[in-house]
Parts: sequence; C-alpha cells; structure tokens
Amino acid sequence: MIWVRIRQVFSILVFLLFALLFLLPERFIHSGLHGLVAFQFVPALIRTLSEPEALFAAGVVFVLLITLCFGRVYCSFLCPLGTLQDILSRLSARMGARRTYRYRPPRNILRYGLLAITAISASAGAMTLIAALDPFSLTGRLFKHLVHPPLAWVYNTATGLLKPFDIYRHPLDTAFVPLSVAVFTGLFLAGVAYLAARHGRLYCNTLCPVGAFLGLLGRLSLFRLRLNPSGCRECARCEDVCKAGCLDARSASIDESRCVRCFNCLQACSKNTIRFRPVRRPGAGPDWSPSRRALIASLAAALTTGTAAISFSLRQPLAAATTPKTLPVTPPGSTGFAAFTHLCTACSLCISVCPTKVLTPSFMDYGPAGFLQPKMNYEKSFCDFECTLCGRVCPTGAIGNLAPEDKKLTKIGEAKLLDDLCVVYVDHNNCGACGEVCPTGAIRFVEKETILYPEVDAKFCIGCGACELVCPTRPRSIVVDALAVHTRAEKNISPPTPKRPGGLPDEGFPF
Amino acid sequence: MTTSKKYNRREVISKGLSLGFMAGSAWILGRPDYLIAQNRLPAPPDLVAVRNGEPDAMFQKAIELMGGMSQFVKKGQTVVVKPNIGFPRVPEIAATTNPILVKAIVKACRDAGAARVYVFDTVVLTASRNAKNCYTLSGIESAARSAGAIVVPVDDFSYREVTIPGAKTLKTADVHSLVLDSDVLINVPVLKHHSSAHLTIAMKNLMGIVKNRMIYHLSGLDQCIADFCLFRKPDLNVVDAYRVLRSRGPSGPTDPKIADTSLKKTLLMSRDIVAVDAAAAKIFGADPLDIGYIRIAHQQKTGNMNLNELKIATFTM
Repeated sequence: MIWVRIRQVFSILVFLLFALLFLLPERFIHSGLHGLVAFQFVPALIRTLSEPEALFAAGVVFVLLITLCFGRVYCSFLCPLGTLQDILSRLSARMGARRTYRYRPPRNILRYGLLAITAISASAGAMTLIAALDPFSLTGRLFKHLVHPPLAWVYNTATGLLKPFDIYRHPLDTAFVPLSVAVFTGLFLAGVAYLAARHGRLYCNTLCPVGAFLGLLGRLSLFRLRLNPSGCRECARCEDVCKAGCLDARSASIDESRCVRCFNCLQACSKNTIRFRPVRRPGAGPDWSPSRRALIASLAAALTTGTAAISFSLRQPLAAATTPKTLPVTPPGSTGFAAFTHLCTACSLCISVCPTKVLTPSFMDYGPAGFLQPKMNYEKSFCDFECTLCGRVCPTGAIGNLAPEDKKLTKIGEAKLLDDLCVVYVDHNNCGACGEVCPTGAIRFVEKETILYPEVDAKFCIGCGACELVCPTRPRSIVVDALAVHTRAEKNISPPTPKRPGGLPDEGFPF
Repeated sequence: MTTSKKYNRREVISKGLSLGFMAGSAWILGRPDYLIAQNRLPAPPDLVAVRNGEPDAMFQKAIELMGGMSQFVKKGQTVVVKPNIGFPRVPEIAATTNPILVKAIVKACRDAGAARVYVFDTVVLTASRNAKNCYTLSGIESAARSAGAIVVPVDDFSYREVTIPGAKTLKTADVHSLVLDSDVLINVPVLKHHSSAHLTIAMKNLMGIVKNRMIYHLSGLDQCIADFCLFRKPDLNVVDAYRVLRSRGPSGPTDPKIADTSLKKTLLMSRDIVAVDAAAAKIFGADPLDIGYIRIAHQQKTGNMNLNELKIATFTM
C-alpha cells in the first residue's frame, strides 16, 4: 500500500525536477539541479567510461546496487520516461481506454538483441540507437522540442498583452527545431503514448536498452516479489494491474527481469499473499552451483570485452563510411567531430541551456551515426563569447567543461570571407556587419578611398559564427567552416586598427 | 518736510506700460528663464560643447546653455531617450553610452514634467540573453530605472513600417512604435570608433530604433543612415564623449584592460544631428568630410556640417 504511494510521489517529484531542468534551465542551472542527471543510467555510464567523474561514477554504482538489491526500482522511481508512461496510461484509463493488463510472454530476442546491437553500435561509434531509445534522452527531447516551444509562445503572448500597461519583459527565445526532428520526436511520443495506453510498460521491456540491461541484473536481485499460492484466491487482480505484464497469476510466478517494481500488485492483492522480501541466495535452487555461475560470469565478461574490442576497431571504417562531406560545427569543449558524435546521446540539455539558442537539433547532419545530435546553427544564432554553459551541463562529457578563458580561445571553426559575394567588394559600399560583432577582432578592415574592406585574420578567429549570422547577403558571404578537430586561437591583445593620423587634440575644442 | 519724488502722469503711464509689457510678454512666453538666459546669450546656440567635467555635470551645464530642458520636454509628454546599448560591454570599454549621463537626462525629463520616459535600444545581436546582458552590463538599465525611466526590452513585434519621404535608398523602415507614438525623441549616442562606418555618433545611433538593420548593411550603410534622418530627426542630440573608444569599435574588446579608450571628458548637444556629428568627428580627430553619412546628410539638407557657419557655445568646467 505504502510502496505505491511512495513510488508515485517520488517519481512525480523526479519527473517535475527534470521538467524544470529542461524548461527553465537558466533558473536551475546554478542550483546544481543538473547533478540529478548523474543518476540517469545511460549518461552516467557514458560519462564514467569516457571521462570518469566521482558524481557520475557514484550514479552508475548506485543504480547497479539498487538494482541488485531491489530489482528494477530505477524504472519506476528514477526514469522520467517511465513516469511519463505511467502518467499517459493513467490519463488514457481516465479517458476510458483499456484498464487491465495481462501476462505476456517475454520478448527476449527483441530486447536482448536490441540491447546487444545498441551496445555494439555505440562502442563502434554510432550513437543512433542510443539517441533514439535512451529513455532519458528521449524525455529530454520531448520536453525541449514539443513542450517548450508552446510554453514560450504562451509566455511571449502574455508579455505582449502587458505592454499597454508599460510592463515590459524580455521575450523567451526557443531553439529552432527542424521539421524532421519535430516530426520524428512527435511520432516517437505518439508511439510511446500508444504503447503506454494499450500495454503499460511494454516499451521498457522490449525497446528500452536500459530496461533490458537492468532486467539482466534484476534476475539476481536480493529482494523479490513472491506470490504465495497457499493464500491466493486466484482472483488475478494482481495480473490486472501489472503494467509490465510480467505477473502470471495462473502459475503464481513473477518475471523478475521484467518487473519494474511499481508495487501495484502488492496493493491489489486483498489477501496479502504477495510479499516483497529478500530471498536467501545459497542453495536457493538445485541447479545452482558456484562453479557454473563463475563460468557463466567469466564467459559473459570475455564476450563483452571481445565485442567491445572488435566494435572499437570498427570505429575508423564506420566513421569513414558515415561521416558527411561538410561537417557541422560542434560546440566548444567537444574537441571535435569524432569525439562529440561518439559520446552525445542527443538529450538536448545543452540546447535547453544555450542562452543564444545557437545549438539546435539536427536530423542527419552528422550522418546516420550522429542521428539527432545538436549542432552550432549559425543561420539562427551565434555562440556567446563569455558563455560555457553547454559544457557545464552536458551529462555524457560529449561537450567538455571549459574554463571561460579557454573557451575564448577554443577554435571550433574558421570564418571564410567570399569576396565574390560580399557587398563591400561587389558594390564598394560600406557594410562591415561582420566586423561589428566579431568578439576577437579577427575581422579587420582595410580602407581604400573611405570604403572599408573586411579581411579575416584566421589566427584570431574562434568560429563563434556571429559574422555568419549577421551577414546580410544571401547566400552569406562569410561562413564558418567546421574544424574536424578543434584547435586553439591566438589571443588578440593589441588594438589592430591603426590610430588615425592627427590623434586627439588634448586642449580646448577643435572648432 | 518730506522730500518725495513726484511722478507725473506721463511717467506713470509709460513706466507702468513698459513694466506691464515686460511682465506680460514673459507671462505669455511662459518661460521666465528665457529672459534670464538672455543675459548670457542673446538666443540659444546651434551647438553646445562642454568639457572637463563629469557626464552628469557637463549635461547640466549644456542643457542650461541650450535654454533648459523645458525647451524640449513639456509637462505630460512622453519621451524616448535612446542611448547606445548595442553591445554587452561594461562602461569602461566605452562601447555604450555612459550610464551616469543617461540617468541625468532621464531625471531632467522627469523634472521637466515628462509623463513617461522610455529607454531602449535594439541590440546588435538580438538573442534575448544577449539583450539582457547588454542592458545589465552597460549599467544603463539600473541607472535609467533609478531615475524613473521605463526600460523596454525589444522584441519582434515592437515595430511599425513607415515610408521615408525623399529617401534615396532606405525608402521604408520598421520603426519602433514607442518612437512613433512618443512626443519627444532624445538621442544619446556615445562617440566611438566604428569598423565599417568610421565613426558611430548620433545619426548612426538611430539604427537602434529600426528593426532590420541588415538592410542598411546590404544596401549601403552611409546612404541608409543619412536617409533615415529624412523620416525623423531627434528633438535633441546629446553626444557622450566622456570616454572615447579609439579602435576595435563598435563593440570594443570584451576585456576593459585592452580597450583602447581615451578620457576626453566632453559632451556635445544640438538640435542639429549633422552639426553634432561633424563636431564629434572633430573631437575624435577625424575630418567630417571623410564620414560618408555626414557628407550625404549635409547634401540632403538634414543639417549643417559646416561648423564655422554655426553659433557654437563652448564651456570648460
């Protein structure tokens, strides 16, 4: 009874915190709320494997430990997508859709097969399946691409209505979402909603790689749900409420690998015949032997390392086959194309927090291996010189955390001036929009007959994209080319424009 | 015995009439300070230049020489004060108008009886976060608010399209509706180096009340800057040359330590936007003839760039 209530309150709380994190990042980023992400399994695992950090390693260990102790409580307490599915199925039940669930046989080939393919492809450098299926990233995209834009629209409309009363507020910017990404995200949400409404947690037990992996551990869990056949009246109410479809009332068995620990069955049973208790391990079953278990464990370990080694060696050929011809610019701190695409799960937290909204989701801009990953979109905005927020929030380490002084010299791309398009070179009219906004003074002007011709001094350019954003010509006559591997720009300390002859008169007025 | 001067009838009538005439004319003109100001200058000058003071003190002196704020702002009017807040820079970089000056102007407007004083600028990179940074880092938001101004963040829906009569290139523009709907426009640019327009002063500062500044860049910056003044000339231009950014304008570097500024402690004021730009160019050490938009605006009869034809009041504090 109490377990269900605790689960509901706790999971809704976690869900709301994630909603706040994705919807109002500016307010919550300084409160350290993004530390919550360390307890999301996929980002924490990737971070721990790529650049270990205590908090994230603790997150992984925590999730593994609670699963070994209590089974897949993660899926019902910590996973935002799990909570979202519960909310959706509750809503659909309210609206008169199907109310009861039935036992379904496990789809082991599907879920473990998908888990294996996801893990192998991810270690081979293709994050496609992770990006598509990881529940945390999926929820992040739902918040960012589907929930945030209408909320921002409502906010901006409301502030517009306050103008006649002399109350003015800065508008809320939303990141540009390409139609392909919006449609994909929308369809995926529809699919998840349908599965949740019709079949409860079927997603978690078929498609979700985290569910499949924790299911493997869940088989070993110390605490188990046990149905005591002696007191059972075979009313099957427990099976009716089992949204994971893992409780078979007829055989009085519960599939520990699929049970998401919602504890609905505990609540449903009027006779208290279902108990959540630790099960003594040694000698639990006649087919158990230490040597056999050790053999299985070592075989599994050998298999995993072998596969990992093989798939790591696949990185080069895979990258060669899937890397697009023109690379998108990757955010500062990501160190380059390969490092970024190999680690990003497309959770869109960086997009949420980006103050200028220069980070926008892409569909296939990184090629199929970098499905949905964000890119620096200089047609929409520019990278703020002083800002390092994306690196501070990135949970997987795909975008590294740069010190502000390092960020200002991190060269993520290089501006190229196309003087066959530039109005100054073509029309001999002053324009200079690019130079106005260049934060490093990399764009200099050479004066010929009072007309100022722009030139790019590449050694100072960091590729922030402000020049490309403001360039008035179409197509743009100054564009930032991505650097496959980020480098370091020189610091511009001297005022590059020569002082005008004559200088300032110091005494009196010059007229 | 009493010695009392006796007035005859004629004297009484003539003195009475002249006194009455003086008092009456002062009453009708409604500005007794005009008569006082006449003691120093016979008529308001075309251009006022003050140097060697703090921004607010120089403004007080200049507006006094111009005949007082009541010349420009009447009781109950709405005023737009348009500083340069184009970049997220601290005042020490001098890429933005000095906040102390903005505060003094807002206060003078309020003291003159302005019903509402609006302060805003269309920042160059319009992302909302960047606009916030510009407003806060420049110190203008807090300074203007403390003097009773309404600081207005700009969004896409703040503008209305207008046609510009006689314009050569910029025939239409989307102008901020507060400028269109307010009674008084006070233009408060900062004098600084500009990478593509040589200098930015008063005329260039008006790009910040227009939505699509890229039209200017695309179709000829100098001509468009001059064209806009055919639509609307500010009622008063106050040029902040207290601290002058000498190079890497208009933004300046982000680090104040390497900003190439010089302390000129100068303030210019005029109704004539061309004259004030020409004078400011000279303060910078440039020839106004080299600045395209000053030349064009003079030719288009927006104002007079020939300073020797103007009545200039100077004051050193």
